[in-house]
Amino acid sequence: MEYRVRFYVNNEPIELSVPANRTLLSVLREDLALTGTKEGCGAGECGACTIIMDGKAVNACLILAPELDGKHIETVEGLANGSELSPLQESFIEHMALQCGFCTPGMLMSAESLLRENPHPTRAEIVDAMSGNLCRCTGYKKIVEAIEAVAEKGVYEK
Amino acid sequence: MKEFQYLLPHTVAEAVALKEKYDKAAVFMAGATDVVVRMRDYLLTPEYVIDLKAIPELGGITFSKEKGLHIGALATMNEICADENVKQYYPTLAKAAGSVGSKQVRNRATCIGNIVNASPLADTATPLYCYDAIVEIAGPNGTRELPITEFILFVRKVALERGEMVTGIRVPFKEAQGEFCKISRRDQVDLSTVCGTVLKIDGTYRVAMGSVAPQPRRLPKTEALLNGAPLTPERIEEAAQLATTEVSPIDDVRADKQYRLDMVAYIVRNALGKLA
Amino acid sequence: MKVVGTSVERLDAVKKVTGTAQFADDIQFSRPLFAQVKRSPYPHAKILRIDTSKAKALEGVRCVITGDYYKKRSGLYLEDKNFLAVGTAKFRGEPVAAVAAESKEIAEEACRLIEVEYEELPAVFDALEGMKPDAPLIHPDLHTYKVAPIFYPQKGTNISHHYVLRKGDPDKAFAEADRVFDNSFYIPHVQHVPIEPHACTAQYMPDGELTIWAACQSPFAVRRALAETFDFPLNKIRVISKAVGGGFGCKAGTTLEGIVIPLAMLCPGRPVKLTYTREDEFQYAYVRQGLHIRIQTAVRKDGKIIGSRNTLAWDGGAYTEYGVNIVKAAGWGCVGPYDIDNIATDSYCVYTNHPVGGPYRGFGMSEIHFAIEQNLDMVANEMDISPLDIRRINGIREGGISATGQKIEVAGYQECLERAAQLLEYDKPCEPSGSPTKLRGKGLAGGWKAPSMPTDVASSVIIRMNEDGTFVLLCSCHDMGQGSDTVMAQIAAETLTVDPSKITVRTGDTDHTPYEWQTVASRSTYCAGNATKLAAEDLRNKILEVAQIKLGTWKNDLYLEDGYVCRKFYPDMKVPMSTFALGLSLPDQSGIAGPMIGVGSFTVPNNIAADIKTGLSPKPVAFWTMGVNGAEVEVDTETGKIKVLKMVSVFDAGKVINPQMYEGQAEGAMVQAMGTALYEELKLDHGRVMNPSFVDYKIPTFDDMPELVVEAVEKAEPTGPYGARGIGEIVMVPGAPAIANAVANAIGCRFLRMPLTPDVVLAALREKNKKQ
Repeated sequence: MEYRVRFYVNNEPIELSVPANRTLLSVLREDLALTGTKEGCGAGECGACTIIMDGKAVNACLILAPELDGKHIETVEGLANGSELSPLQESFIEHMALQCGFCTPGMLMSAESLLRENPHPTRAEIVDAMSGNLCRCTGYKKIVEAIEAVAEKGVYEK
Repeated sequence: MKEFQYLLPHTVAEAVALKEKYDKAAVFMAGATDVVVRMRDYLLTPEYVIDLKAIPELGGITFSKEKGLHIGALATMNEICADENVKQYYPTLAKAAGSVGSKQVRNRATCIGNIVNASPLADTATPLYCYDAIVEIAGPNGTRELPITEFILFVRKVALERGEMVTGIRVPFKEAQGEFCKISRRDQVDLSTVCGTVLKIDGTYRVAMGSVAPQPRRLPKTEALLNGAPLTPERIEEAAQLATTEVSPIDDVRADKQYRLDMVAYIVRNALGKLA
Repeated sequence: MKVVGTSVERLDAVKKVTGTAQFADDIQFSRPLFAQVKRSPYPHAKILRIDTSKAKALEGVRCVITGDYYKKRSGLYLEDKNFLAVGTAKFRGEPVAAVAAESKEIAEEACRLIEVEYEELPAVFDALEGMKPDAPLIHPDLHTYKVAPIFYPQKGTNISHHYVLRKGDPDKAFAEADRVFDNSFYIPHVQHVPIEPHACTAQYMPDGELTIWAACQSPFAVRRALAETFDFPLNKIRVISKAVGGGFGCKAGTTLEGIVIPLAMLCPGRPVKLTYTREDEFQYAYVRQGLHIRIQTAVRKDGKIIGSRNTLAWDGGAYTEYGVNIVKAAGWGCVGPYDIDNIATDSYCVYTNHPVGGPYRGFGMSEIHFAIEQNLDMVANEMDISPLDIRRINGIREGGISATGQKIEVAGYQECLERAAQLLEYDKPCEPSGSPTKLRGKGLAGGWKAPSMPTDVASSVIIRMNEDGTFVLLCSCHDMGQGSDTVMAQIAAETLTVDPSKITVRTGDTDHTPYEWQTVASRSTYCAGNATKLAAEDLRNKILEVAQIKLGTWKNDLYLEDGYVCRKFYPDMKVPMSTFALGLSLPDQSGIAGPMIGVGSFTVPNNIAADIKTGLSPKPVAFWTMGVNGAEVEVDTETGKIKVLKMVSVFDAGKVINPQMYEGQAEGAMVQAMGTALYEELKLDHGRVMNPSFVDYKIPTFDDMPELVVEAVEKAEPTGPYGARGIGEIVMVPGAPAIANAVANAIGCRFLRMPLTPDVVLAALREKNKKQ
């Protein structure tokens, strides 16, 4: 049985028929070819599939496709405005806060959600908000520094 | 994940009717953080998934000193740990909710889901046990209430009858002091190796431990010992040791039995030390 | 130097932050088939019967294979591996059959429908047990297997390689020693845990061409292994590797490719895809081998170590086609960066019915140094010498001799040691924790590593000049996050005197990028870097060849600067290099030469294999990279939990090509080492992985990150490109023992086994209190 869902991905309206046993992650990657969102564990433990749904950072692997009806989804593909990178994207590059890059989309979405909620997080708050995102390459230091640098610039102030 | 039908009721009555109709072939889902993983691993193969998120009456957290705290079935862990009343009047519960999974998971996972799952290591269970929280149940025959200690029966087994669901949890308001403590291998995003809550309410002590028995449990002998006399260092140590006799932890991949016993004593000792 | 030594932005950075970098599982194929694998539930079992009829009959299933379909063995150094079990299953989870179907769900269902009948066989779950004469044999035909000439399988045993090292006169040294020590350690299996799981798609065309898209570190090594196994000429098999989401060794050899290829060959034209889940990754991809290690040490009363006996028993798992080389590498590096005259080492690779061992960052060095560096502290402690002094006394210096007898021409160990001790303030006590139950301590550990590769392996690089003076650099050392693309661009840019933004790097396609042996062994900056420099120099020479005609002088009077060909004595007479991109147009419009292409081929000069009897060689490896980690920890004596407060990293990089990327390597390595020290172990029970997911296999996350301090010593490697040597692995090696040494310093308990989990720490404290 398929379910008709209408939702938005990076402000683009999407209409799909999907079976219930599919996840948002597989819909993004397989149906919409938005492969920026990664699968690292499929169980909500690694954060590689982090996206923003209705303003909140969530694991795309833990959302069933029929739940999507009416939702607003933001993925890494929506961060840049054309070729103009977002402040976090710029900062990740400047601080070399990425190596293999597989965790990077999820990192950026968690960081984006954090700074929208809390434009000037303390280091402890950054650590708390980011701990659901695993990285095996960087040791995390440069990621924290990249987020702190954006916070200091105050670009997320409301 | 096996194929299933996704059902989206808009009222509690509808949800109950669906569950009564499909019974064991159906599961309720709220935050989905547990259900989806278990379906993915084929540990759960329901024919129907009843998503509760379209039932407005299940949302929200309310508080008054008279009625206490009410947590709706859809209240997420992050909503609970950020709620000003929970933080002020139930800090142990706020801390427990904030210790569950990652931020992403807490944005979806619910406290009611945590309790209905009836995992022995449910992080939010031990504060609720100490507060004598009441589980609100709706079913085909109307509503009923159960103390949480009577609700969780065993590992993943709860006292729900056919067609019943949990609509919320009520936590009576009592001036309380104490601690929630979670011992885990990694400080962030991990399951409890042992978790526990020690509260002092109206001059009496309440102690509950998780991940040391098939279900979370209160420790009545330890509580009785503490309620009998002033809190001296000797009494604290006696209580810490007594607590280890009231639990029955096992060896598993997270820790051995001895370590869990040590942590039960530690949690009791540490929390009482701060109350003394 | 203008480019080398600067923090040039990563070439792949924009793609990676926008989610447009393409990883193996991201590639979109038309009409793909999905593969799934039926696996053995037993650690060791004879396969009596496989019935695939129900699976074949399921709608949507395109083909089903078993080990009988392709029986030829495969392997990088020792051909002992079947991608699908033939006759017996040798580890729990070994593939016994595979399916290709129209959807993942159908493929999964088909696997459930495959019926397999087994007869369980006695199994081996420990390397020491496996070495016993009466142990069940896992590979009874071992002596018939094809093997590289530097490995020595022992007929009628489970020992697939025995490396012997005999240097000096250890017996005499032990007889003459003032003190003798004997310590044993165990290092359990761990997993690499790249965040990207393995993924592979294979497509076989009706004309006999096979293309494989895989998340792999070493496309050429994979091509060769697969071509031999499946009988393809090399021109008919093409391996493409896109962005790789972390390797750490586990994507160096062949894993799931060999399962997908035979399926693809049965479904011509259809791409067949297999992507591992995290659970698959933990159980069925390579693991870091377990190790029993015993170190006996003969010491003079002044602290000089005069003799060392080492016995290493490696748990290689069910197949050791790659693992044998780790066992050899560990033999070469067996005493760490210490100058010891008399050594006897035996390093055994032992088959067990455990998951397959393979290369892991450090290639054996992380494992042995956990023992070597703790042993040093234990010896120092017993002899009342400071851990710093025992390293000063024994640490290798220029002109020192390695275990295999190699003269060490450049050695920055002592400088790294002093600097690390300074950064850690090793001579000062820790700041108080503020709590009587939280004890702090500091620890140091050194380490070294060489690129342990066959002595004759090769690299090549091609640089093409475009008409506008930009370049395309083609190489096949693969960027899996370590940043090799950027490093190659920097080396080429330095040589060609252009901005690195003018250089595009293309890698990972065996049909289009030139030969590279493997992206392993911390060899890329050195080997591929040398090939890059040679290619750039070749290109420069070719440009100057035609430029001399244009500029009317001899080419020795010309040089490159900022993208121009300049004359030495008339600097104003300069011509943009791009003028010569397509050769040279003469005044009569005729042309000479042609498009400018630089070619560089590199093989390490004068690398000599070790002697079979003594294990000695004057130069088995190109160089040794060495350095020191320090750690400060806080141990909670009530909960047993260890918090790493600070780690320092000082290594002799020769020349740091890109400082920011160097820091990134060192920082990531320290946290990875910390994971193995504190959390990580693949828990095995009768061959079953008990913690095959992130729920119970924890790697460090943000909250665990200590203060990280990174510095480099730069004593140039004479044969390295711009003085560089490899650092990607060594920066992890001493991390875990530094933490263990710090813990011992804090609480007075020594841990002879990783990881130092809270239950183990509390048990040790209890034991210690009992004794007091």
